[in-house]
Amino acid sequence: MIASLSHSLITAQTVIPKFGHADDCVRQNRTFCWGWFSDHWDDVFQPALLDHIKLTLIAVVVGFAISIACAIFAYERGWFERPFSVFAGVLYTIPSLALFQLLVPVTGLTELTVEVALVSYTLLILFRNTLTGLREVPEDARDAARGMGLTARQMLWRVEVPLAVPAIIAGVRVATVTVISLATVAAFVVDEGLGAPIFAALQSSFNTEFIAAGALAVLLALLADALLVGFQRLVTPWARAGGTR
Amino acid sequence: MKDFVNAFKFMGDNLDLLVNKTVEHLELSGAAIAVALVIALPIGLWLGHLHRGSFVAINAANVGRALPSLAIIAIGLGILGIGFVNVMVALVVLAVPPILTNAYLGVDQVDRDTVSAAEGMGMRPWQVFTRVELPISLPLVFTGIRTSAVYVVATATLAAIAGGGGLGDIIVNQASYKLAGVIAAAIWVAVLALLVDAAFGLLQRAVTPRGLRRAAEVSDAPPPDEGAAAPLVAGRPVPGIE
Amino acid sequence: MTANNRKSDEGGYVHSKAMQGVAATVALALAVVVAACGSSSSSSKTTSTPSGKPGAGKPAVTIGDKNFTEQFILGQLYAQALRAKGFTVNVKNDIGSSELIDKALTSGQINGYPEYSGIVLTAIAHDNKSYASPQATYDAVKKFENGRGFEVLTMTPFNDVDALAVKPPYAQQHHLTQVPDLKGVGRFTLGAPPEFKTRFTGLVGMKQVYGITNVNFKPLAIGLQYKALDAGQIQAADVFTTDGQLQRGSYTILKDPKNIFGFQNVVPIFSKKTLTAEGPAFTEVINAVSAKLTIPAMQQMNAAVDLDKNNPTEVAKKFLQANNLL
Repeated sequence: MIASLSHSLITAQTVIPKFGHADDCVRQNRTFCWGWFSDHWDDVFQPALLDHIKLTLIAVVVGFAISIACAIFAYERGWFERPFSVFAGVLYTIPSLALFQLLVPVTGLTELTVEVALVSYTLLILFRNTLTGLREVPEDARDAARGMGLTARQMLWRVEVPLAVPAIIAGVRVATVTVISLATVAAFVVDEGLGAPIFAALQSSFNTEFIAAGALAVLLALLADALLVGFQRLVTPWARAGGTR
Repeated sequence: MKDFVNAFKFMGDNLDLLVNKTVEHLELSGAAIAVALVIALPIGLWLGHLHRGSFVAINAANVGRALPSLAIIAIGLGILGIGFVNVMVALVVLAVPPILTNAYLGVDQVDRDTVSAAEGMGMRPWQVFTRVELPISLPLVFTGIRTSAVYVVATATLAAIAGGGGLGDIIVNQASYKLAGVIAAAIWVAVLALLVDAAFGLLQRAVTPRGLRRAAEVSDAPPPDEGAAAPLVAGRPVPGIE
Repeated sequence: MTANNRKSDEGGYVHSKAMQGVAATVALALAVVVAACGSSSSSSKTTSTPSGKPGAGKPAVTIGDKNFTEQFILGQLYAQALRAKGFTVNVKNDIGSSELIDKALTSGQINGYPEYSGIVLTAIAHDNKSYASPQATYDAVKKFENGRGFEVLTMTPFNDVDALAVKPPYAQQHHLTQVPDLKGVGRFTLGAPPEFKTRFTGLVGMKQVYGITNVNFKPLAIGLQYKALDAGQIQAADVFTTDGQLQRGSYTILKDPKNIFGFQNVVPIFSKKTLTAEGPAFTEVINAVSAKLTIPAMQQMNAAVDLDKNNPTEVAKKFLQANNLL
């Protein structure tokens, strides 16, 4: 092997090609280089943004399904509220970095780990809002439903759940924004989402990449919040007055 | 399971390290909460007293909650560089909204008749504020502080990414501390966040005027929902993550 | 399990055996709740192998690399050169520091990776002896790795060693030329990757060999130490001597007279089983790549990635093309 090394050193010197210089802004690592950002929208930022949205949607949809089911169960059997609230509350309090690290020995460095953690952060908000929404259905509405001869099941799905929709959507809004925020930390586990370019930027302390990825995450969260507020108003025009928002 | 058993062994063997990092963690968190209090509390209470600026006070909470801390830290890395200031900014941004919003709501929602009665007794506005509005609003104001504190303690874990120290230092250093250390620190910081929540819960009870304790317990129930940011006005904080 | 566990560039996931285990109650409870919903699993695509090349029909190989720029480039250099000869190669990128990637190697998740000779001895074999030359270091590495079923291929001409860097005014002010001079500066803060804290080629050696105890340690992600040094938040930084960033600012590199940081030529380490299965052409390709890796070559490739923000894959490709290895 030593022989082959000296052999190749003799036969050919190393050729160092031109790799292409970046512009001054990038080379000097100035605060923000627009050119670099727009050049890498397609291969860095857009995919990260789409991954981020995907991670968020999966978590919110799964969390929504679990929470709604558990909230209806708790609505029907009161004893269930306390244990589930405590469980979800504890999960909600665990720092994300810690939760990801605790899950990795169990579910590995996978999207599953990320989604389990993200879903766990939606439960408390969605469960509590749904349950509150159901409980605040006016007694008049229930009386009217009973008067119409609805069974308990019919009443739940035709009267109580629809009337709880504003509260549920409010929960979805908070949960969504929370998940968008936490999904940035997911890059510790899988190379996905807007956290990925943030971690990549550490390697060369590259300011443009830090700022661009961070700003996109902030904008995504604000945009999602605004869209959900709009949606909330669209589906519940009667709730517009006097709401706390 | 071995990993988790080892984690507890690690805690026993490295108590000094964990305690040091915990102190660092709490110093950072405490500083951030203190700054947030100085900024948010006067503004929130004053706006509440004036019954003005609900749009600002409540949207501050909504917008603030929407800002991902890691993203703020990243932007800070680009502009401010590594270390204390950067992490502080991110944590203060996180801590201000719940304090501001709850301080506002606490004072704003004090029963108007009660205020009128106090005015009728000849109290000046300042006296109304300090003797009536403030004590009555205290439980809700404190809820905001408690929520902020838990958010901040949990999120300070991310400081390690930007050279800010704290328990996150252990979590991101598997090379030195092995998987056992990483899991140990993760458990430790989770418990710390829960303890802070519990401690503030006790403190909250202690500062609540006796006559208001029942009311405070009532407000422990889930919030009346008007499409509000439920956790922020709930009695029990829906505490922090990140 | 830090930022080091990223997805490979082939779409597979790093998943170290050390990270397998059974559950904490909370984690498990949730996992059970959500497991039903499932989650997309990783797919591993393999490149089709043209026939007639030495690697055609050989089993797929997974090469790992560590958590910094030079390693990303090295991983790509070896992988692309092997693919050009028909081998099927997956790359698991950014696995982590030596301590972590060694676990991936010994547990069989990767078949091999480019390592630095000296660090094998100090961080993995826990051998802190001083070796007189790169060759002596290499021989010791070979002996250690052979003893546990791995083969060490030819080392590269280039050497990339840890070094302590300070800003020139600070060096002048305290008359610093070598690492032991730091004893006289009063308390100072040193920024370095987290694992520096417990390594002999790090704080441990600095204390044992030079008696430096007046240091505050600030763990920083690899790369951030330059930012911290430039901003004056730390007084000294652990750098790698082939770092591209050294070309951007002015830094004074302190000499290491007792050579605690050792000799760190890159040695590709592969399991013997893999090398047998892949045949001699596999080893030849890797050695041919290694032979081209001189200090200026590595410095310029690192700079192309870290300063000019070129993609490591592209940089590796250009280099291999220029040297007729593709």
